[in-house]
Amino acid sequence: MQTANIPKDNQTSLERVLCYLQRKNPQRIACFPLILNHAARVLGVPIGKYNRNGELMGKSHVAAYKRYGNDLILIFSTTSTLAEAMGTKMVFFDEDAPQIAEPLIKELDDIKKVNRPDVLKDGRLPVYLEATEIAVREVGSEVCVSTVLAGPFTTAAALRPIDLFIRDLRKNKEWVHELLGICAQAGIKFIDEILKRKSLPIVVEPIGSGSLVSPAHFREFVAPYLKRLADHVHANGGGLPAVLHICGKTKPNWEAMLGADFDIWSLDAVDMGEARQAAGHRVVLVGNVIPANLLKNTPEQIDAEARIVCEKAMGSPRGFILGSGCEVPIETPPANVDALINAARKYGRFDT
Amino acid sequence: MKREREEILKDLANSVLNMDEKLAAQAAREAIKSGLDAYDAISNGLVVGMNKAGDLYETEEYFVPEILICSDAMYAGLEILRPHLKKESDRRQIKCVIGVVEGDTHDIGKNLVKIMLDVAGFEIHDLGRNVPLSDFIEKAKEVHAELICISTLMTTTMDHMATVIEMLKEEGIRNHFKVMVGGGPISQGFADRIGADGYAENAANAVRIAKHVCAHIATVKE
Repeated sequence: MQTANIPKDNQTSLERVLCYLQRKNPQRIACFPLILNHAARVLGVPIGKYNRNGELMGKSHVAAYKRYGNDLILIFSTTSTLAEAMGTKMVFFDEDAPQIAEPLIKELDDIKKVNRPDVLKDGRLPVYLEATEIAVREVGSEVCVSTVLAGPFTTAAALRPIDLFIRDLRKNKEWVHELLGICAQAGIKFIDEILKRKSLPIVVEPIGSGSLVSPAHFREFVAPYLKRLADHVHANGGGLPAVLHICGKTKPNWEAMLGADFDIWSLDAVDMGEARQAAGHRVVLVGNVIPANLLKNTPEQIDAEARIVCEKAMGSPRGFILGSGCEVPIETPPANVDALINAARKYGRFDT
Repeated sequence: MKREREEILKDLANSVLNMDEKLAAQAAREAIKSGLDAYDAISNGLVVGMNKAGDLYETEEYFVPEILICSDAMYAGLEILRPHLKKESDRRQIKCVIGVVEGDTHDIGKNLVKIMLDVAGFEIHDLGRNVPLSDFIEKAKEVHAELICISTLMTTTMDHMATVIEMLKEEGIRNHFKVMVGGGPISQGFADRIGADGYAENAANAVRIAKHVCAHIATVKE
């Protein structure tokens, strides 16, 4: 890779990102590689310690930012964290993100057992909040810090065995709505603590992916509860945007996503040219170099892929941010993250 | 009054397609009572409905919940019909071992593929999720499988698929089995690089690919 040809930045990361909120063109587009558990690799701590220790989690993300210059810090370990605080049991691994071991709700009646979480105490929510405080304190003046929580649908699907939950969508609709209401309420409480710490809440809703549920189910069970969270950020975020990430396919749900009123969409397995048409003047787009490619391809291949993404999405009316479609894989070679960010410097310029 | 065979078969197919578990069981009982051949009722009734559901899945009219509930209806009918099947010795099914690799507990995709392969007439040996890599090989040897299907949703575990193929090579039995891979981060390029025989993007495709890679195996009645 010819590093000599990469133009120099003349804005701090935060200045660059603020341009999007002020509806101005930055010097060059921002780049959000979704660095989550990979941050532990940069600090050199085991993933299993990173995700259970707020100090290590915070320091990992500070180290990752200092190493890469990514334009967004994302405090996160797994999408089931809210559900964990509400009663689902997790299994932890030394070198991987935790996974669901035992969902709480075996029988419909177990909905009574769902814990309305004390977000300062329950599960690993305090780990996230401590990590958030550290990142904001150490680098919050130069880079945007965010804290990630799962949307109500994903949290509900982590409280109930998922094969049962997706049957409940047809068989026990009212019950599902009751559970989603509880999950949305927990999410809102967590959002309040995130906002108090001057971090940007980001909602992820992977189980609402168009790869899993139909547009009809998305409209009925996913979008209305996402909107509650977006409305809450708008009402209480002091001008912060509402940000949504959904993995996999989302195209059939773009209209409903517009209705949920998020300002920034981070998209995965979609055509960014098509997404640009849907997003129009309303939504900033983030995406969407394929995560597995970050793990497996060469920096030259990442550069070429990112270039195509930029060609499709540059000029998106409300703005475009280059990123990974989903989590940067834990073992991604650092040179590939560099290649992605350098691609934003090369193909995402407004100053030429 | 007894209804015609065609009507009962139609009910069986529609019950599956329309996710009606009750109707599936009711039509299956009626089929037995009316003296329909159980195999006829399954393959020209229930399976027809499930295949139509698979078509709708492919065209994105049905999604994961719909396919699972269709399969609930199908299995409700099967449970009633299966005890009435005549000996199956005249049918040669392709044997398939399927599972999600060690370190990964996400099994929705695997379960969909399993259902669709089952419907397509494969004999399925489901190892579940978080499966130790050697178990794929041991089970495949034990049941004399022709096909090994490996799934993962995560980038942290995708390389385990390559390991299974390497292990087969080391034992000198790579050519005894066809290996298919699939899951979120998997692509045709990855499948080619690790030397898999097939890759399917979704459950509907998986049946086509499985039939294609197993085309050398005769399934005609002996």
